[in-house]
Amino acid sequence: MQKEDLKIAVIRIEGTNCEEETVMAFRNLGVFSEAVHLKQFYSDMIRDSEQRSLTDYNCIVFPGGFSAGDYVRAGAVFSARIKSVLRDDLRDFINSGYPVLGICNGFQILAELGALPGFDEDKPVGKQEMALGINDSNRFECRPSLLKHENRGKCVFTKALEKEIVMFPVAHAEGKVIFPAGKEEDYIDRLRKNDQIVFRYVDAGGNYAGYPWNPNGSIYNIAGLCNVRGNVLGLMPHPERVFFDYYRKNEIGDGRTIFESVIEYLLSL
Amino acid sequence: MFSKVNVPFELYEIKILDADDGRLLKISQELGLALSLDEMRRIQDYFHKKGRNPYDIEIQSIAQAWSEHCCYKSSKYYLKKYLFGISADYVISAIEEDAGVAEFDEEYAYVVALESHNHPSAIEPYGGAATGIGGILRDVLCMGAQPIALVDPLFFGNPDTSEDEIPAGTKHPLYLLSGVVSGIRDYGNRVGIPTVSGLLFFDESYLTNCIVNVGCVGIARKNRIIHSRAGNAGDIFILAGGLTGRDGIHGVTFASAELDEKSEELRSAVQLGNPIIKEPIIHACLEIVEKELLTGMKDLGGGGLSCVVGEMALSAGFGAEVHLEKVLLKEENMAPWEIWVSESQERMMVTVEPKHVDEVLYIFQKWDVPATIIGSVTAEKTLRVFHHGYKIYEMDIEFVTSGVEYCRQYASLKETVDETDSTAPPESYEEALLEILKHPNVASKEWVIRQYDHEVRASTFLRPLQGRLNLEGHGDASIIKPTISSKGLAITVAVNPWLIKKNPYWGTASAFDELVRNLTAVNSTPHSFADCLNFGNPEKEKRMGEFVDCVEALGWMARGMKIPCLSGNVSFYNETPYGSIAPTPTLLGIGIIEDIKNAITSDFKKRRNAIVLVGETRKEFGGSVYSRIFRMNGKVPRTSPEKLKNYSNTLLESFREFDVKSCHDLSEGGLAVALAEMCIASGMGARINLSEMKDETYTKLFSESNTRWLTEVSERELEDYISFFKSRNLTASSIGNTGGDVLEFTDGKFSFEIPLEEAEKAWRTGLTRFTGW
Repeated sequence: MQKEDLKIAVIRIEGTNCEEETVMAFRNLGVFSEAVHLKQFYSDMIRDSEQRSLTDYNCIVFPGGFSAGDYVRAGAVFSARIKSVLRDDLRDFINSGYPVLGICNGFQILAELGALPGFDEDKPVGKQEMALGINDSNRFECRPSLLKHENRGKCVFTKALEKEIVMFPVAHAEGKVIFPAGKEEDYIDRLRKNDQIVFRYVDAGGNYAGYPWNPNGSIYNIAGLCNVRGNVLGLMPHPERVFFDYYRKNEIGDGRTIFESVIEYLLSL
Repeated sequence: MFSKVNVPFELYEIKILDADDGRLLKISQELGLALSLDEMRRIQDYFHKKGRNPYDIEIQSIAQAWSEHCCYKSSKYYLKKYLFGISADYVISAIEEDAGVAEFDEEYAYVVALESHNHPSAIEPYGGAATGIGGILRDVLCMGAQPIALVDPLFFGNPDTSEDEIPAGTKHPLYLLSGVVSGIRDYGNRVGIPTVSGLLFFDESYLTNCIVNVGCVGIARKNRIIHSRAGNAGDIFILAGGLTGRDGIHGVTFASAELDEKSEELRSAVQLGNPIIKEPIIHACLEIVEKELLTGMKDLGGGGLSCVVGEMALSAGFGAEVHLEKVLLKEENMAPWEIWVSESQERMMVTVEPKHVDEVLYIFQKWDVPATIIGSVTAEKTLRVFHHGYKIYEMDIEFVTSGVEYCRQYASLKETVDETDSTAPPESYEEALLEILKHPNVASKEWVIRQYDHEVRASTFLRPLQGRLNLEGHGDASIIKPTISSKGLAITVAVNPWLIKKNPYWGTASAFDELVRNLTAVNSTPHSFADCLNFGNPEKEKRMGEFVDCVEALGWMARGMKIPCLSGNVSFYNETPYGSIAPTPTLLGIGIIEDIKNAITSDFKKRRNAIVLVGETRKEFGGSVYSRIFRMNGKVPRTSPEKLKNYSNTLLESFREFDVKSCHDLSEGGLAVALAEMCIASGMGARINLSEMKDETYTKLFSESNTRWLTEVSERELEDYISFFKSRNLTASSIGNTGGDVLEFTDGKFSFEIPLEEAEKAWRTGLTRFTGW
C-alpha cells in the first residue's frame, strides 16, 4: 500500500472531543485523515457526498472525550450505537487485519464492545470482559503519566517504539482497568503469554508504583493493551497530546511513534 | 392592575397609564421587574404617547434590557471616562460586542471574553458555575471563533468558617467551592476546551456572596469574524440549540439586586446547562462560519430572546419581526413573555440570507442541533412579536435597547485610607514562613487544577503546573499554541482583593502590575486584557466610590502601558444584608510570544545557579498575607506605568540577551513565597543572602512590593546580567544560589533555615487540609 492511498477515520459523536488533534497527528505525518460523524455511516439524512463506509478506511480511531456525555458509564452510549449500526462492519474490519485505536474514551468504548482484551481471534467484537472503572481518587484528574513499553512486538501501534519509557498525559475519571472478580490472575497470565500488554504505569525511576504514578489504580499498572492479534490497541493516556515534545523544546514528542508505527504497518500490508 | 387579554393563550395588559407612583412601584415589584420609579415613569410616558397600555411581554422586555446586567447603567459613564478608548493598531473590536477581538498574526485573530456568574453560583454552585462556562463559550463562539482556553477565577468565604458563623440562607464556602469546581470540571472537560488558568481566593467578605468569574479565549480567521448584528433587511433569524423552557427566567434582574436569605427560593433564575448539546453547537456553528453562510451571530444569554433580537437588529440599524410559536419549547403552556425572556442555555441566534437557509438548517440537523426559523429582519427600527397570529408586542427598538445611563454619586476612598505602618518582625521566621505557605490563598491549587483538563486540544504548551512531573509548582501564565505557527498566546489572571479592599486605587493598580508581571515572567509581551469588575451595591456611595477608584486606576495603568482593554463585564450588587464583597476587579491578561520554544517556566533548572531579584523592595505590607496573618496595618504597594514598563521591557530584553533558566513573579507572600515555590517545583533548595538589600529582614522577605521577579542565571552570566539592569538604572540584586535540600536565609549576622521537605508539605497541604484530596 502507498502512503497516499491511506485513509484514516477518527470517529466522533456528540461529546467526543479529541478528534481534531488526533486527525492532526496523522496529517502531520502526511497521511489523509478525517473526523467522521458516526451518522455518516448510517443516517438517511446525510447527503451522498458526506456518506461513508468503514471499508473506505484503512484504520479507525475512537478518540478521547465524553461521548454522549458519559452520563451512564464511560463509552456505554457510543458503543451501544456502534453495536446497533456498525457491529458486523467493525468485526470484518478487525478480522481483515486493519488497525483500530482507542484513546481514553476510545479505550472505554473498545472495552464496552468486547474488542479488548479480545482473547478470541474469531470474535474480535463480542462479550464485554473488562471495564474501566472509576479512578481510586474518585474523580477526574489531568496529570502526566510515565509508561513502560512492554510489548514484545505484537502490537502494530508500538512496533517502531524504541524508548523503554514514554510520557503521555492522562485526563480521565474512569480509567481503572478491572477484570472479572476472581479471574484477575488468569487474565493477566493470558495477556502476558499472548503479548497483549502494551503499556504499564511506572514512576520517575522506572518502577511500577502506586498513585499518582498509577493515576487510577489499574490492576497490574495496566495503561494500555492490545487484542490477541495485535491490531486493536486501547490506552487511557493520550499519545496525540505529545505528538510534539511535552516541553516543545524539540519537534518530536513521545506520542508520535504510535502514529508512525501504524502507518508503517499499513504500508507493509 | 392587570387584565387578561382575550386571546387563546396567557397574555395580560398592564395598566400603567393611570397608575400613580405607588402603583408603578407595586407593578415593578409584583412582576419582578427590578425597575426604579424613574424608570417606570419613563415607560409610562412612552405608552402615553402610544395611547395604550403595555402587554406583559413588552414591559418584561424593557425590564430585561434596562437591567444593570444588560445595559451597564451605573458603570457606563465611568468606564467611558477612564477605561475605554486605549488604542492599539492590532485591536479589531473592543468593548462593543460579546467578546473583544485582536490581531494574532496576519491570518488569525484571537477573541477574549470574561464575565461573572456570581448570583447563580451562590444559590446553585454546580449548575451556576457550569452555565457560566457555557455562556462564556458562546460569547467567544458567536464571534466565529473556535474556543481554545478557559479561565476561572473563584472567590469564597474562609474555608475554616465554622457552621454556626454561617448566616441563614448561605451555604458553607467549602460546599460552594466543591460545587463550583465540579460544575466547571464537568462542563469544561465535556466540551473539550482546556481550563488553563484561574485563581482561588478566600476572604470573609465572600461568605454570603461568592464570586465566580469565567473567561474564554478563542481563535478565528480574521476574514471570518462574525459580528453580533444582522446583515440586511430580509435576513432570516434562525434559533439553534437547546429548547426554551422556564429555567432562567429573570436571571438578569436577579443578578441586578442584592441577594438575601430568601434568594434560595429564586432557583428558577438559575439556568441548566448541557455540555453535550453545546459541543455539537460549537462544531455546527464553526462549520457554518467556515462556509460563510451567516450574516450575523449572537448567543442567547441574559434576557434571552428579548435582548438578542433587539440588539442584533438595532446594531445593524434595522428592526425585526418574530413569531413566537415557532420557538421550540421544553414545556407546554408557557406564556409568551416567558418564552421571550427565558434564559434557557445552549441557544444561538444566527441571521442568514434567505438563499442560505436550507444549507444552514441541514448543517444543524447533521449535528443533531435543533434549529428553526423564528422571524426576519425588517427595514424600520421597530420590533414586532406575534404569537399564533396575534400581535402582542410593538415597540421602537431604540427605546427598549438603548437603555438608561446614570452618573451615580460616589465617595472616593483615596484620601481616607489609613495606611500607617504597624508591622513588626515575626517572633519566629521559620513559623511565619510556614504559616504563610500553608495559607489557602498561597498554598498549592493542585487540587483544583488537576480536576480540569488543561491539555485537551493538544495545544497547551505551558501548563498551569510547572516543574517536576507530578510534583509541579505554580506557573505565572499558561501558553497556548493556537495555530500551526510557533507563535503562542500567554494567558493569565490577576487580582488580589486584600490589597483592593484596603486601598481600591492602589490595589487595582497592583492587580494590573501583577498581570503584566505574570505575562512577562513566561517571556511573553503583554498584548491586551479583559476585566470583570465585581462590586457591591452601586446605589451606595461608598461602593460606587470603590468602583470609580478601581476603574480610574485600571485606566491609568492600562493607558500608560498602552495595553488595550478588549472586553469587560461589570457585576454589581454582590452584597447581602451581611455586607459587601471586597472590591474584585478580576483581570484576564493576554500576552504574545513569538516562538513558544523561548517560554520560561517558574521551576529552578540547575543546582549552583545564581538567583537574582529584579526590582525594588519597599516596606509595603498593606493587604499583604503577612499583615493579614499577624493582624498588622501597612501601606498598599505602589506602582506606576512608567516604572512597570521600564522593568518589564528590560526583563524581556534580558531574556533575549541572556540564558535565563527560570523566572517567577513576586506576589502574595513576597520574596520568600516566590522562592519557596521555585524550589518546590524543582525539588531543589536555595541558599539566600539578603545582606546586599536595605530594610529589615522581614520586609525583604515578606513585603509585597510590585514590579519584582526572581530569575535564575548561570554563575558565569551573573555579573553581566546584573550590570545589564544597572546600566539602565534599574535594580537587580544577586541574592544567592540554587541547590541543597533546605531553604536557607542569611541577613548579616541573622540566619534561619527550613528543610525544603517541610516547606513543601506546608504548601502542598495548605488547601487540601480543608478540601481533602
